[in-house]
Amino acid sequence: MSLIEPVVGRSRSRRGVAAGMRAAGRTPDVALLVLMIAITALAVATLPGFRTATNAYELLDGSAVIAVLALAETVVMLTRQIDLSVGAIMGLVAYTVGSTVGRLGGGPLNPVVGFAFAIALGGALGLVNGFLVERLRMPAIIATLATLSIYSGMQVVVTGGSQLYAYQVPHWLAGLYSDQWGPVPVFTVIAAVLVLLLAVALHRTRWGRDLYAIGSNPDAAAAAGLPTRRRTYETFVLCGALSGVAGLLYVAQYGNVDASAGSGIELTAIAAAVIGGVSLFGGSGTALGAALGTLLLSELETLLALERISIFAQQTLQGAAIVISVAIYAYLGRLGRRRRMAAPRRVAAPAADETSPPAALPAAGTGPGGDRWT
Amino acid sequence: MDLTRWLRWETGLTALAVAMFIVMARLSPDFATTFTLQSLALNAAVIGFLAIGVAPVIMGGDIDISIAAMTALCGVISAVLWTHGVNIWVASVVGLMVGAVLGLVNGLSVVLLDLPPLAVTLGTMGAYTGVGFLILGGSAISNFPASLVNLGSGFIGVTPIPISSVVLIGVTALLAILMHRTTFGRTVFAVGSNRQASRFSGLAVVRTRIMAFVICGVLAAVASIFYLGYFNTAQAGSASEDLLPAITVVLLGGVSAYGGTGTILGVFVALVVVSVLESGLGVMGLSGQELSIAVGILLIVAVASSVGGRWLRGREGSGPELAPPPAGPGPAESSPQR
Repeated sequence: MSLIEPVVGRSRSRRGVAAGMRAAGRTPDVALLVLMIAITALAVATLPGFRTATNAYELLDGSAVIAVLALAETVVMLTRQIDLSVGAIMGLVAYTVGSTVGRLGGGPLNPVVGFAFAIALGGALGLVNGFLVERLRMPAIIATLATLSIYSGMQVVVTGGSQLYAYQVPHWLAGLYSDQWGPVPVFTVIAAVLVLLLAVALHRTRWGRDLYAIGSNPDAAAAAGLPTRRRTYETFVLCGALSGVAGLLYVAQYGNVDASAGSGIELTAIAAAVIGGVSLFGGSGTALGAALGTLLLSELETLLALERISIFAQQTLQGAAIVISVAIYAYLGRLGRRRRMAAPRRVAAPAADETSPPAALPAAGTGPGGDRWT
Repeated sequence: MDLTRWLRWETGLTALAVAMFIVMARLSPDFATTFTLQSLALNAAVIGFLAIGVAPVIMGGDIDISIAAMTALCGVISAVLWTHGVNIWVASVVGLMVGAVLGLVNGLSVVLLDLPPLAVTLGTMGAYTGVGFLILGGSAISNFPASLVNLGSGFIGVTPIPISSVVLIGVTALLAILMHRTTFGRTVFAVGSNRQASRFSGLAVVRTRIMAFVICGVLAAVASIFYLGYFNTAQAGSASEDLLPAITVVLLGGVSAYGGTGTILGVFVALVVVSVLESGLGVMGLSGQELSIAVGILLIVAVASSVGGRWLRGREGSGPELAPPPAGPGPAESSPQR
């Protein structure tokens, strides 16, 4: 694409991307929010068990760990990468930090040390991913598949056949899950703060805008002079760090951490992000979207559980939800693209815009000499 | 042609397989025994079918992570039919058809709706597992007829060669012919290299991609038949631990994650490498998860060495194509991710 569209200049392409990003980023959120409110209203109206405030807090608390992991995946997915090792990082950090933090003698400083340790360890594990993807130029799927294997294996080695027990978890950590600050549970506050921080970072800083640019069009972003290599490292490190925090939250929530903790959870995190509008192709999605996606997923689960629909149906519905939401977002994206192409706003097409004349060909299998499944 | 290029990766891999075998045999006297090798072969069958099945999909530029779920669901359906009096072989054939249908669903969703295969198969993975649980709940069906068990765990006549290995080799050969000697196979590689150009060249892109998914589904069903025969139990959650090894084997085998290159032979050799590694380390006492560290490291080393090799050769050398394709118009065409 950079061969066809001239790179007009650094500021113009960035402005184009940023503006386009804001537009694309807003629509799924509104739709999601509306959907969530609708489902919640429906649930409250029809199910007696759903109405209580405690139930709402349980929902929020219960989804906090996955929400943080979904945030981690969002960061990576925005740049058109993926990280399959977040669950393994979470588990490894959960056990390592959870078992050592109980032996610290620091008193009131323990929480700070604990979180710092989790962030540092998670970040280091994420750095390995970044190195593999950026330096060794491995595709992210392969790299994180490999680190997933390695980290989960390390988790087994580190636990050495035993596990972390709930009684070993220090009070302050377990208290994160059980305590409340005034009317709001601490857990929810932590998750909400992280969502807010990430949202600000993504939408209000150059760093965040770079991520969207890189995800929309990596070549144009590199040609425009964005520090793509550094950003790749940073996204994987951040993803790892967030997974580390999720690990600490996991210990707070479950207490018991064994060798298989976190196994399989990366798929739930990706699902939550995808449902929340984060595109696997990069370039669109928001932190708030990921959080809403997580909540929607949890709400669906709770709804189904309350309706006594078997847990087994839930998995099917979750799977269907992913496919449906991906289809919807793809359709919305295509609508948006067609609308933008119908009314061009600039004379010199910015290189970083996702639309371009060759992309005008409808994607599904037609074109000169193309075929259809008939 | 491209034969020289392919052969270099596979040659290195074969050398690795042989070297690994020798090392394992040296490190542990129990390794080179008939019993260990037979267990190795029997265990490798399910992963082998899965890997050979998903390889065409990845070669075509897509991916399918629902393969383990398809295996489980096909097994569940066959088993349930059998408990209702259907002959086990008829039930197995039905299972094969179910596999084709599941693969078709994947293919239609990805290709016709133009959705990212990773997301779609992530969803179908959950959906298929869910359906399996809906059918069977959390229980299991066991004690299949001796004929099926013999297929999965038995040997050819009085030889020490497992039946499943022979079938695996046969299927591998079939698929190798399909991918490397037919127009279909060549179309798959073309589509994987450059979907847009293939479309403009008049290749049957849509049909080919969907066919690849269907083949993947059928082979997952084949895997399920041998799974039932070997493990003698059908559950909704079966084979879930085989997804990672299968993908690892395919990628290790030289198939590029971006599509367009790789050989079935390479996948088979990679299967041997991973099996020898796992079996050897297992005999030495490593647990299942510790093995996964080794496999992960192996994957990194393999990919890194191919990158390093290309760098040494000034970028013209062999090995799986790892650089992302030049950015084409639109995310559906140029994405190095799925």
